[in-house]
Amino acid sequence: MSAVSVRPTPARRPTFAWRALLALGIFFVLALAFPFLPLGDRREFLLQIGFFTLVAGIMALSWDLLARSGQVSLAHAAFYGLGAYGYALLLKAGLPWEAAMPLAALGAGFISLLLGAVTMRLSGMYFAIATLAFTEVVRTVIQNLPESVAGGANGLLVPALLGGNSRGQYLLALALLLLTVGVSLAVRLSKLHHAFAAIRQGEETARVLGVSVVRYKLAAFFLSSVLAALAGVLYAGKTFFISPLDTFSLANSISPLTTSIFGGLYTTLGPILGATVLRVAEELLHNTVKNGYLVVYGLVLMLSILWLPRGIVGLWRRGRQGGDL
Amino acid sequence: MKKMLLTGLMLALSGAGAVKVGVLLPLSGAGSVSGQAARSGYLLALDEINRAGGVLGKPLELEFGDDGSAPAKAVPEFVKLVTVDKVDFMVGGVSSATSIAISGPAKQYNTFMAWIGAAAVPVEDAFADHKYFFHYHPWAYYNFEAILGYFKTLKTQRKAKNIAIAYEDGPFGSAGIDATIAAFKKAGFNVVMAEKFKTGSGNFGPLVSKAKAAKPDILYWIGYDTDALPLATEVKQQNLQLGLLYGTPPSWPVGFEKNKLSDNVAGLSLWLPSSPQAESRKFVAAYKKKFGTTTEEYFAPLAYVNLKSLSAAINAAGSTDKDKVAAELAKTNMPTPFGPLTFSKSLKTQYQGFKSGNWLHFQFLGDARVPVYPIRFAQKPMVWGK
Repeated sequence: MSAVSVRPTPARRPTFAWRALLALGIFFVLALAFPFLPLGDRREFLLQIGFFTLVAGIMALSWDLLARSGQVSLAHAAFYGLGAYGYALLLKAGLPWEAAMPLAALGAGFISLLLGAVTMRLSGMYFAIATLAFTEVVRTVIQNLPESVAGGANGLLVPALLGGNSRGQYLLALALLLLTVGVSLAVRLSKLHHAFAAIRQGEETARVLGVSVVRYKLAAFFLSSVLAALAGVLYAGKTFFISPLDTFSLANSISPLTTSIFGGLYTTLGPILGATVLRVAEELLHNTVKNGYLVVYGLVLMLSILWLPRGIVGLWRRGRQGGDL
Repeated sequence: MKKMLLTGLMLALSGAGAVKVGVLLPLSGAGSVSGQAARSGYLLALDEINRAGGVLGKPLELEFGDDGSAPAKAVPEFVKLVTVDKVDFMVGGVSSATSIAISGPAKQYNTFMAWIGAAAVPVEDAFADHKYFFHYHPWAYYNFEAILGYFKTLKTQRKAKNIAIAYEDGPFGSAGIDATIAAFKKAGFNVVMAEKFKTGSGNFGPLVSKAKAAKPDILYWIGYDTDALPLATEVKQQNLQLGLLYGTPPSWPVGFEKNKLSDNVAGLSLWLPSSPQAESRKFVAAYKKKFGTTTEEYFAPLAYVNLKSLSAAINAAGSTDKDKVAAELAKTNMPTPFGPLTFSKSLKTQYQGFKSGNWLHFQFLGDARVPVYPIRFAQKPMVWGK
């Protein structure tokens, strides 16, 4: 009788998914504690930086949600702007901000379904160009509405969010980032994740596997644009003013893309880490390298993307197996 | 060694309690040409102020902040200058969007603002109720008032009746275009064409053909510097007969005056290096001495005047008390490169500095920008093409 040797099963180590969840948990605990820390004279300034970092996080993560379905969009500025304008116009119509905010976001979401339906057959560069053109179309339409309606090229004044209370604004932005993370995790843990991944890897194959490509691509568009519009609402309420030139600027489409790539594509943690690191690095450089900090910032960004093709979270995931949240 | 230490100690002591002025400018991004020009103006003024004994007996200190030409960057930068660097006064401001974005924190901290740029009307709305807001640059409606006044003169003197308008499709060109057309019509002009174009497209063929058919006396062009040369080229190529090609870009292309195509093209500026005022000549000489070159950007002398007038008001007030300084600044009556600076009410704000009467109309003549109107500043007679 031959002896059968059985290798003992190694004790299960926590997978990356749990580590990512833990990291997200730590991020939110720290972010929640942040405005209550004794920050001294720098409190107000740091709250402003924190606010715009959270907005950048929402934008990046919402862009990543769409990218997970293989759609590299340059229409994020359009949804951001639609959210900002929708919010401003609803306030002008007399709605309270609590109602104007979700309605503006949903409005942008429904418009995104139109874009999604029109661009359904496009992919890659053609899709990106179509979404870029869409942003330009929306900007032109808003700009050419009668000045009495949307302010025309002059722009619109927007009442301050939460009466200008910077701590309140920060906490609201944090709550909306939490919502974005919740949506991202829900997508990751549902069948949407597998459908998005299948579509990203090849639409034909996905169809053969029984994935309803149209439905899932539209779902990605809707979720992504609603969240981007919420970021636009935050921006409008913080800066008191929106104009077609600023709100629909190409930078608002490019920035979430670079932030997601820098942090780590197709993950929940990556875009948030990317937004935090980039914003903090920009501010540090800005205050240390007074002249030409943008050159240094650009170089850092370029080299990071070259050396870290999987983003910051790629460093962490190196050699690890398991779910990547 | 002891002497060096002593000097250092004295400088440190003299700096203690110095008046700090925060300067928020677009040192990067779309508005950086104007922002950098303004920075030079502030540095020149700072030199002169400190050489003359500083402010309240101490050297004046400037703390620069870059708003990146973006509201999202301007807000934290403004808050940092006010709450972290604890500046006593704020100056600067070029873009309208960034200025509106900081109107909230400015009111929250009751910040004293002596503002040089931001001409759009929504800025006036945003600061209408701010007690310490001094605005130096003319509001947009003053700019148009100056243009309309000049065109009315051309109507009387040159029988100019028909105006064609070419305007870019962005906010700069399109904002208030309907009101512009209505104002021209009200003044008795025929607006024979109002054609929109895309900045940077470089194709003015169809637009100029349309203008040719409309036979205008004046082609009024509202756009950016990138379109100056393509438009002038097309006008020449199609031999469009005009009395005047008049443009109002924020800045003209570098070296445009050396190009033959610029001959007789006219425009608007708050200041020209060739401005005849004694203060302008003094500014040009001082600027050349410090930087070894001259500037065509009016934001340089505007920033210079801004800091000089503020420091004079602080000295006159004898303290940094905002009410006292505001009262002194409101009384300002000083000669500047733009003409005398005084403050009076605008449509909505309490303290408005320069108005429509400060604009100069110039023409590119013989490789230079030459003031041609108002007549008292004209260095050469205007060339009318018809």
